[in-house]
Order: sequence, then structure tokens, then C-alpha cells
Amino acid sequence: MTARSLAICILAAVPLYSQTPSKPPVPRTAAGKPDLSGVWQGGNLSFAIGEQNAARVSAPGGAPAAPAKPEPPPYTEAAMKIVQQYRDRRGIDDPAARCLLVGIPRITGMPMPFQITQTATQVLFLYEAFHTFRIIPTDGRPHPDDITPSFMGDSVAHWEGDTLVVDIVGFNDKTWLNGVGTFHTEKLHITERFTRVDYDTILYDVKMEDPEVLTKPWNQHATIRLRPEDRVREYECGENNEDILRFESLLKNENLFRKQ
Amino acid sequence: MKTVLLSAVLLVLGLPAWAHHSFAAEYDGEKFVTMKGVVTKIDWQNPHLHFYVDVTTAKGEVEQWKFEGFPPNMLVRQGWKKDVSLKAGDHITVTGWLARDGSKLAHSREITWDDGKKLLSGPPAGTGGN
Repeated sequence: MTARSLAICILAAVPLYSQTPSKPPVPRTAAGKPDLSGVWQGGNLSFAIGEQNAARVSAPGGAPAAPAKPEPPPYTEAAMKIVQQYRDRRGIDDPAARCLLVGIPRITGMPMPFQITQTATQVLFLYEAFHTFRIIPTDGRPHPDDITPSFMGDSVAHWEGDTLVVDIVGFNDKTWLNGVGTFHTEKLHITERFTRVDYDTILYDVKMEDPEVLTKPWNQHATIRLRPEDRVREYECGENNEDILRFESLLKNENLFRKQ
Repeated sequence: MKTVLLSAVLLVLGLPAWAHHSFAAEYDGEKFVTMKGVVTKIDWQNPHLHFYVDVTTAKGEVEQWKFEGFPPNMLVRQGWKKDVSLKAGDHITVTGWLARDGSKLAHSREITWDDGKKLLSGPPAGTGGN
């Protein structure tokens, strides 16, 4: 065998090893857009510290690698002092500990799956965590003019190529963005981008803007994975939330919390 | 190989852990314990499983310990079945982290039954404070 024919053999064999076996293509709707319908699991927007980005780094299917270190929240100096106070209290003030809706983008990082159901004019997100939902119009309508501030805000979406771009406003100031004490104001504006890069992977890019407390947009990235074997179950947080009673007791002992 | 191992570790760590509240608010990640005892009661409830274990100390005294764990939806995904996997009277070894306040409360991580069966019962420790 000549060197040339050996090289051809090697080049021909490489794709066999680099391809993921029998993965279907990204499904598409009649309109030609990617169909995001299915049961999915987010994850690396985790509330737990140090877990960000891990899933994306290990994403299969040739998904682009994420930066190894997540972008720190660009709070103003004054706002950062408040964040630090929450951290010193070890997250005991977390709104989710009171079983309140966790808001966006934190809902995407919950350790429970969600279902996306896509129609010609809407994308529905049905979340197991805190059994909440989002009904997102994709027919070009703007945000309504009678928005009342809410935990999950008001979402409208459009397509940019194969990416679903969701614009969210109308938040209250009662959720944390992603991490202990990451508070915001009612001026919060979020842009989410969902790109189904292969059959079982959605890349999730989220931009958080709040001119009251952030000095610039805060960007986070995550990988959302298809969970075809799973289904959305029930999570009724308020059934027996005795943690909050224990918190009241803990708060009486300042020694249990870090000093600033 | 190192890269493969690192990816595997990252994959595991990348799974989100805490749905409801900060680990560090109640528990001390530095105080990992292993206890053996007899299950006396199970509360299969949201937002957390709780189970109670009678633990006999070295002095022969019986202490009643309470353990927190996953909510039912996450237990099921770990292979649990209500009223079947864990029952009063079971002899178990449980690992977890002690509560900060010094009470007989801990956050469970894994249960091992005397026949060798193992199930994860709670997420790994997180700091929740950084």
C-alpha cells in the first residue's frame, strides 16, 4: 500500500469514528422551523455553586464548548453589597425556599424536566418545577400593554433563522436570577435564545439586563438535553415546607452565619 | 483519558442539585456522617422526603434522628418506589451532612440496606453561599 492510498484509507475512516451513531436529524415543522417539542432537562444554570457550565462543557454532538468559567454578575458596587449580604446569610432568604416561582432564567436550571409543545403560533413551556408554565406567542404580536409585574414575566418570541428568540419583560422584583442573592428590579429585561443544534441538544443563551442594578448585560449559557424516556411529573413545593420554620429558628442564632 | 474522566466528573457535577433551598442555609458541608439504625417512620412528601431512624450510640443509648432527602418526583427518578423501597423496620446505613444548629437532623445522600441495596436519597452538598 502506497503512502497516498494509506492516507486515503485513514481519511475515509475518520468520519466513521466522529459520527454519532443513528442520531435522527433535528425535526422541523411544516413551516420549516426547528420543532422544539419534547421533554427536556436543563441543568447547568444550577443554583448550586460551582456547577455552572459543566453540562455544556461535556455536551455531545459537536456542540461548541462553553467558556470554562461563567461570567460573573456585573452588579453595581451598591447592588453587590446587597448580594454579599444575601451570601453571608447562606441563601436563607431564597424566595424559592418559600416555594415561590423561581423566575427566569433560574427555572431552566431546575433539576426537574420541562416539556416544550410547539404550535404554529405558540410555544408552550410546561415546567415540572413549581408546576409553572409559559405560553409564548410566536405570531408577531408585541407584549400586551396591561402587564402586571409577575414572577415569570411576559414572554413573546420570534425566529431568527433556526433560533427561537424570547423577549421577556414585566417581572416583579421577587426572584433571584441565578445564584444566591442575585436580585433584580422590575426593570429586568431578559432575552433567551433557544437553538436546537442537534436531535437531543438545545443550546440556551440568556441575556439579563437591569439598568438599576447591573452595569452591563449579564450573559449565561447552558445546554438543555432531550429526555425522551422521561415525562413531566408533579412537584408541589408547598405540601410540607417545614424548612422555612427551621429557618426562623436558625435566624435567631447569628453565629450560624458568616460575618461580613 | 484524563479528559474523558474530567468530562465524566463534570457531567455528574453538572446535574443540578438543589431545587428548593440552599444547602448551606441549614446544613454543614464539612460535617459528613455515616449512621446505622432502624427506620421508624417515612414522610413521602414535598418538597422533601423525611425519614426517621433510631440510631444506637456506642454507649447503648438510642437516638432518634431525622433525615431530609429528595422530593418524591426526584426519588422516583433515582429508582425509588413509595412504600416499597424504604419501610419502617428496615435496617439501614445512611450517609449525609449534619444540620448547622446541632439538632438531630441531617441531609441524607445515600441509603444502603443490609442486603446491599443502595439508593441515592438526596443531592450532593452545595455551598449555597458563594
